[in-house]
Parts: sequence; C-alpha cells; structure tokens
Amino acid sequence: MSSNNKPFFVGYLSAPGPLRRFLLAICVLFIVGFAALGLTLGVAQDDPGPGAFRFDYGRQTVTGVIELTPYPLVRVTIGNDRIKPGTTLMLAGQGKSSVDKRAIPLEGQLAKVSGVVLQRGDLNMLQLRGGRNGISAVEGAASKQTREPLGRWKLAGEICDGKCLAGAMRPGRGLAHKACANLCLLGGVPPVFVSTQEVDGSEFLLITGPDGDALPKSAYDYVAQFITVEGDVERRGDLLVFRMDPDTLEVLE
Amino acid sequence: MSVKYVPVQWNKNKWIYDWVMLLGVAVFLYVFLYASPGILSHERPINPQVHNARAFGACAFVMLTVILCIGPLARLDKRFLPLLYNRRHFGVMTTFVAITHASYIIDWYFAFASSDKYEALLFANTSYGQLSGFPFEVFGIFALSVLIILAVTSHDFWMKFLTAPVWKRIHYLIYPAYLSVVAHVSLGILQDQQAHAFTVIFISGATAVGVLHLLAAIHERRQDKAITAQPATWIDVCDVSDMTEGFARIKLLPDGKRVAVFLMDGQLSAISNACAHQNGPLGEGRIIACLVTCPWHGFQYNVRNGQSPAPFTEKVPTYNLRMQGTSVQVDPNANPPGTPVDPVPSPLHPQTEGAT
Ligand code: HEM
Ligand code: FES
Repeated sequence: MSSNNKPFFVGYLSAPGPLRRFLLAICVLFIVGFAALGLTLGVAQDDPGPGAFRFDYGRQTVTGVIELTPYPLVRVTIGNDRIKPGTTLMLAGQGKSSVDKRAIPLEGQLAKVSGVVLQRGDLNMLQLRGGRNGISAVEGAASKQTREPLGRWKLAGEICDGKCLAGAMRPGRGLAHKACANLCLLGGVPPVFVSTQEVDGSEFLLITGPDGDALPKSAYDYVAQFITVEGDVERRGDLLVFRMDPDTLEVLE
Repeated sequence: MSVKYVPVQWNKNKWIYDWVMLLGVAVFLYVFLYASPGILSHERPINPQVHNARAFGACAFVMLTVILCIGPLARLDKRFLPLLYNRRHFGVMTTFVAITHASYIIDWYFAFASSDKYEALLFANTSYGQLSGFPFEVFGIFALSVLIILAVTSHDFWMKFLTAPVWKRIHYLIYPAYLSVVAHVSLGILQDQQAHAFTVIFISGATAVGVLHLLAAIHERRQDKAITAQPATWIDVCDVSDMTEGFARIKLLPDGKRVAVFLMDGQLSAISNACAHQNGPLGEGRIIACLVTCPWHGFQYNVRNGQSPAPFTEKVPTYNLRMQGTSVQVDPNANPPGTPVDPVPSPLHPQTEGAT
C-alpha cells in the first residue's frame, strides 16, 4: 500500500531526508510545546492564602486559661510582644494530632504553653512542644471566660481543619486537600468554618457539634465543600464558636 | 528483533528519541517549578511539596495525552510512524513522572498522621456517594497501578512470555487508565481551582485523544471496506499490474485476518500482514535487502517462508497464491507460521536474480 516515493523509516537506520526535516520540526514543536504548557500551567496556580507557621517569631511561651470547646484553647492572660493578653490560641500537637490528653486535665486552670505560632488573619493557633515543655499547670487564679451568645445564624462556607488552614499547609483548604483535612480532623485538630460573610467581624469560626461536642462524623463528608449550615454562634474572647446543626447542612454548587 | 534479552537495544534513533523526550519533560518541569513562581504574585508561596506534586501530575497528564495521540496520528499519516517506534520509553518515563507526583502527595497530604500514610490514602476520605468531594485519589491509584504494570511488562521479554495477544490486551488497559486520570482531574483539581488554564488545556488534550482515535477508526474502516473479500476458495487480491516491486497489497480475508502479498524479484509471495512482534502491518512496510521490513519497529521476514533471518526466530504464517490470467488470487487458509511456499512468477514483471 505504500508507494516508492514516500520515505520509509526503519528504527535502526537513519531517517530519509524529507522525513528527517519533518521529524526535526516535530521535535522542536514538542520541546517548545512542553515549555509553553509548563509556563501556562505554572502561572495558573491559585494563591494558597496568607496562613503560615511563624517560625520567624521563634518559640513562643505564654500563660493563659485552658478551655475546652471541646477542642482545647488557651485564652492568654500573660502574653508577650507578639501575643497580647486576651488572644485566644487554638492548640494542636505535632503533625495531625491533638493535645487533648495533655489539655483536658487542665481545663479551667492556668497553664504555661509553649510552641510555634500558626497565623492566618485573625486566626491563631499554637503547635505545642512535646510533653510538659509544651503545656504545664502554673499557680494562680484563673478568671472565668465570658461567653456572649450571638444568636442563630445560617452561614455559607467551608469546613476546614484549623491547622492546615492556619498555615500548616499552603494550600490548606479546598477539595483537593479534603482527604488531608479529614485526616487532621480524625486526629483531633480543631475544625474551623470559613464563612463567605463575616460574622461579627470575623470570617473564621471554630465549629463544633450541636451540643458543643466534637464535630459530628456525618459532617466529614462535607469537609472542604461549599455548604450552608445553621447553628448558634457564641463569642469567647476574640474567637467565635459555631455550634452547627447537622440536620440543616446543605451542599451549594 | 531479539536474539537475547538485554534491557534496551540502543540505536541512534532511540537515543535521539529519548533525549528529545527527556528535554521536553525537563523543560516543562523547570518552567513550571522555577520560572513561573516569579510571575505569580502570591503573598506566600505554595508549599514546595504541593507545587512539585502539581508539576509532576500535570506533566504526567500531558505526556500520557501525547502518547495516546501518537497511535492514531501514525494511522492517519505515516510520517508519524517514527514517533511510535520508541513509544515504550515515553511510557516508562511517564510512569516515573506519575510515581513522583503520587509520592509528593502521599508524603505530604497523607503524612504526619498517626496512621500509616498508605492506609490513610484509602480511609481518609470515604465520601464515595457524592461527586463533589469524591475521593478522586482512587482514580489516580488505579491509573498509577496500570502505568506501573505496563511499564514493568513493557520489555519484549514479557511480550514473548505472555504472547503478543495477551500482552496487547494488557496494554489496552492504558485506555481505562487514561479515563481514570480524566476522572482524577475532573473530580479533583478542576473542582477546586479558580484559575482555568488547566481546565482548558485538560479538556483540549482529552478531546484531542478522543477525536484522533475516532478519525483513525473511521479512516481504518474505510480502508477495510476497500480491501474486504467475500468468502471463496480463492480470493482475488488485485490485478498483477497494480503490484510494485518491493511492496505489498493487503487483503482482508473473510476470517478477519489480513494477508500481505509482496512482489519481490518479479515473483509473488504472501505472508500474514500481522508482525509477530506487535501485530504491526507488514504489508505497509517494504522489502529492504530482500527482507520484508515492518513499518513499526523494523522486524524483518523472508517473504518466501515467513521466517526472520537467522539468528532471529520470529515466524509469521504464509499463504498460497496463484495467477488467474492477470489476477492475483490467494488461498484464504493460512499455512503454519514459517512454512516455505514457492513464489508465483508475475507475468508482467521481469524476473530478476534470486528468482528460481
Ligand atoms: C496514587 C496515585 C495518585 C494520588 C494519590 C494522586 C493524588 C492527587 C492529589 C491529592 C491531587 C491534588 C493536588 C493539589 O493540587 O492539591 C492530584 C492532582 C493531579 N493529579 Fe494525581 N494522584 C495520583 C496519580 C496520578 C496519576 C497517575 C496522574 C496522571 C498520569 C495524575 C495526574 C494528576 C494531575 C494532572 C493533577 C492536577 C495537577 C495540577 O493541579 O496542576 N495523578 N493528584
Ligand atoms: S516490528 Fe514491532 S510490530 Fe512489527
């Protein structure tokens, strides 16, 4: 079916002249094409947001009152240059782990906490050092935190894991990151709701189950998705806590 | 053709092929990873692990798309055949790039937990009942498993060991794997990102693969129609005046097999059109130094007996021919591979040396 004048390529012989020019053109096109695609895709990466580990602050050690939401927080009473008194820090362990074992026995008590800060806007987290170096009780009277109910809200946004969102990973939210977020949540890292609309000045709300318990397992299927959900919002110092009602959760497109 | 198995039988064309391919991949990764971040105006950079994972994932997708376009392009235009020649190296390279992609992901998103990272890959997201938020990683796992199987069995040793039809069937898994990558990307990053360059490139690439395969299939069907024979004890192939010295005419027999009738030294001989290597179309090859040479990877056969020249051992079936006037006719019953058949002299062509 071939005819005499068409060049014929045999792999282990040199390509005939006209075919060689064609192949050279293909090679150039191939390399230029790959470069162009690399550039187009490389510059089309979304901004992963401003969250970050603040290693530049160095290790931070502050004193405050331990609270459970049920996720452990510390409300700073004796701060430093970086962390002012009154700041609320969510607490997390190394990697995708919680500090529940160390923090729960200290609920309502004054404690010294030490570690590295993660920060994204007004969202603050402290990744504790190991053992008693990370958290230990100190003498002193712990003031009680005031809780200010802000009523029932219907919010649109995304459930994230508080640690990746705060800057442990960039990107630290979104559907591509969903499995990772689930792993963090399974490890006990505090979940955070990112609301599309600010609530009392903040787009980040620590999210819990309806009775102020841990995030219900049924909500895991909706992590990283764009949803609406209703629940009660409460202000605790500079942090908002959102008690979601799982029956009202709806996926938005 | 192989006498003994060596990892790769290198030659100049394979070197050129591999260097161009590696250069393309290197340029893609370099530009994606080092040239473009400067253009991005992010307040804080994407973590290197994710950035690397994305670069390698996107590169693997582009490579796979190009690989899958080569086949139909070569069927539509023979000038693309050289790209087919060393495609397996391209495939193996794609597998390495895809493994690198998956490793960056697994060592980042699935690490740092108390559970094993490979187990975590399977249980971290179990939202199988929904499209948005679907654990798209499973499609990546399937595609990667297929790529690894194909890369491992890509060597001619495996083709011999598994036999060409089984090998070929296994390697058709590349199509489900590509569909799986399409699902991996559609349910993964396309659901997530705000920038749409990838969406456009992704859809164009996947569409090109689909359209080219469709065009090649239509082209092939048209060709087949022209060469299909009705059942008979002797089947007309063509008029002998249509034959060209050193070339073949192909006929599609009623049993679905193809026969290639060659004119060499003014005498006609017929062998199976399917190369013993990977079913390449021998009838689209030509006679070089008295041997039929396959257009795909250059395996060679003696047209009079369907045997590869010593020391090679490949054999293809032969067919019996006869002349009815000036009409070339073939007996549709193939002879066992390697059976010598006396050539039939052409009444129109001068018999040259070597003719008996
Ligand atoms: C074990 C196997 C795999 C796993 C676990 C996996 C996982 C992932 C994850 C989590 C992402 C999202 C990354 C992000 O942007 O945050 C992703 C993206 C991607 N994956 Fe995979 N993947 C696997 C195999 C593959 C294979 C075999 C291919 C293609 C041949 C592939 C192609 C892609 C592409 C093109 C993207 C989008 C990259 C971009 O954003 O530019 N993946 N993969
Ligand atoms: S040489 Fe590979 S198919 Fe013929």
